[in-house]
Amino acid sequence: MSHAPSPTSFADEVRAIPGGEHLEMCYACGTCVSKCMIQQKVEPDYNPRRLLRQVMMGMRDEAFSNPTTWLCSACDLCYEACPQEIHISTVIDAVKQLAVEAGHTSPIETVSVEESLCSGCGICVMVCPYEAPHLIEKELDGKQDRVSEVDANKCMGCGICVAACPLGAISRPGVSNDDVVPQIAIERQQDGIPTLLTFVCDWSLRAAEDVSILESYPPNVRIVHIPCTGRIDPQMALMALKSGIDGVLVCGCKPGECHYKRGTSVSDCKISVLNRILEQMNLNHGQIRFVQIGTQDRGHIRFEVDAMLKHLADSKEAH
Amino acid sequence: MAEAKDKPKLAFYWAASCGGCEITITELGMRLIEVGEIVDIVFWPAILDFKYSDVETLSDSEIDVCFFNGAIRSSENEHIAHLLRRKSKVLIAFGSCAHEGCIPGLANLHNRESILMRVYETAPSLDDSQGTLPAMSNNVPEGTIELPTFYDHVKTLAQTVDVDYFVPGCPPVVEQVWNVFQTILTGTLPKKGAVIGADRLTNCDVCPRQKGQSGTRITEFKRPHEVDLDPDLCFLTQGVICCGPATRAGCGLPCIEGNMPCRGCYGPPDGVVDQGTKLLSAIAALIDTDDPKELQQIIDSIVDPTGTLYRFSLADSVLNDLKYRS
Repeated sequence: MSHAPSPTSFADEVRAIPGGEHLEMCYACGTCVSKCMIQQKVEPDYNPRRLLRQVMMGMRDEAFSNPTTWLCSACDLCYEACPQEIHISTVIDAVKQLAVEAGHTSPIETVSVEESLCSGCGICVMVCPYEAPHLIEKELDGKQDRVSEVDANKCMGCGICVAACPLGAISRPGVSNDDVVPQIAIERQQDGIPTLLTFVCDWSLRAAEDVSILESYPPNVRIVHIPCTGRIDPQMALMALKSGIDGVLVCGCKPGECHYKRGTSVSDCKISVLNRILEQMNLNHGQIRFVQIGTQDRGHIRFEVDAMLKHLADSKEAH
Repeated sequence: MAEAKDKPKLAFYWAASCGGCEITITELGMRLIEVGEIVDIVFWPAILDFKYSDVETLSDSEIDVCFFNGAIRSSENEHIAHLLRRKSKVLIAFGSCAHEGCIPGLANLHNRESILMRVYETAPSLDDSQGTLPAMSNNVPEGTIELPTFYDHVKTLAQTVDVDYFVPGCPPVVEQVWNVFQTILTGTLPKKGAVIGADRLTNCDVCPRQKGQSGTRITEFKRPHEVDLDPDLCFLTQGVICCGPATRAGCGLPCIEGNMPCRGCYGPPDGVVDQGTKLLSAIAALIDTDDPKELQQIIDSIVDPTGTLYRFSLADSVLNDLKYRS
């Protein structure tokens, strides 16, 4: 008589997907939950430990409708912390694959492609941290054309592709050029107070405390929320300076702590090259700055904003 | 054959340019002869013997269409731009220099003083430079001759006078020049301010090379001569900066067919105000590292980022506006 579990159990199905095999090493300590940004910021019901337990107990429907299955962006902060060294995001991804096969869809607001604007350049395919976009051949206006198509079940809505798309063909409500560009404006201040546009990665605000710090500044400091600094288009920084804004501060996360895996490095690269370009034009006066704030650096954002304001005030005086 | 007075009057002029735009028109060959039959060319100093006084004697708006190539870099360029604007019903910025500054526009990385010093004092090809600069005014037996003023920076035609249409390209390719002629002669010009003689999307739309896959990343930027380039693969996937993603299509891809990356001469597509940063936004997202030190090394491998990303569009960029805003 065999005591082996049925080979078709839910847990077996998850284990059969590469990455899912770590499933039963979990002894439910909950360290992953304490590290998780999603749990802290958006979804108190988010709980990797509980999801893994549901899988082991064969609770298929509960696991498929669990927000944890869909919201994990594979930032892997929990992976580093897990005493069992479980690569939790790959286990969650295995559950998600089964959920998609079973007909469930992602609740995340994902990007969409305006096909008449898409050149099929494949930039979005290359830059996406989640392999969500791919190129397809299809008939458009009676002609065979190559355009990008986004797998809505893979897209996490980071906006890296929105910034990278040269034709503005990719959009997402709240993240598109039409949403962000109108926010690039600060009324000119009296008595020479410098104006500062601050792009803030929504995930780098480690606590509500940071939001209230930012909101406590007078109107010369304007906060623009973006899902990830990978969304930054350096064109926006130049347009801000052209509109008369004195400085642009882009606040991202430390490398390895980026909620969308690589957004902070992408942003670092963009702003670094932009500053080299400004240098070549003899225009680099430290007006555009990129800073990386760690997950544990609560309240640190104040120092960055203050330092930037001081720098801008000093250079105003020098001119 | 129609009398000259009934024919549409065309003018061609070159300001700060290399002459390539003129050559591309002559490349029309026999078709140019056909055009010559049905139009009256009233001014074309590069090809025919005309003087500025010939233009001055025309009535205002007497020229139907003026093709103006070249950027505005001297007082002479500017003077003729104003003159031709006044004398023309339709003024076309023809070619990359008039459209967006092109290679002459890269002078905006410097200024008048440093350019004159380089050319007349420090260039390695000078033999014992005395630092002698051209005199602005010279007395000769026939009288006094004056040199036009060399400006501090290069301007596009549209930064100088009102422009009706833009034909991109360094130079515009001959088939597109022919398309523009036909558009004009058939009276089917679009709304004022449009880019004509080009397509709507970017070069990637028509490029047959195999595009990058998920996870294709760049760990080092290389220049074309440093790589044995695969003619079937997207240049970006080979670590070589190609301006195609942010460059308007219409040229027919002669560079790419020659296994050289797009250099960006057809300018940005509609909706992009700054070609250089838009291109940067696309290629920077391809870098592959989490290590800030390595990231700086990768960036170091982009030789001359301004000259690479803004090779043709610098004088018409937001970057340029920042430097020269009043």
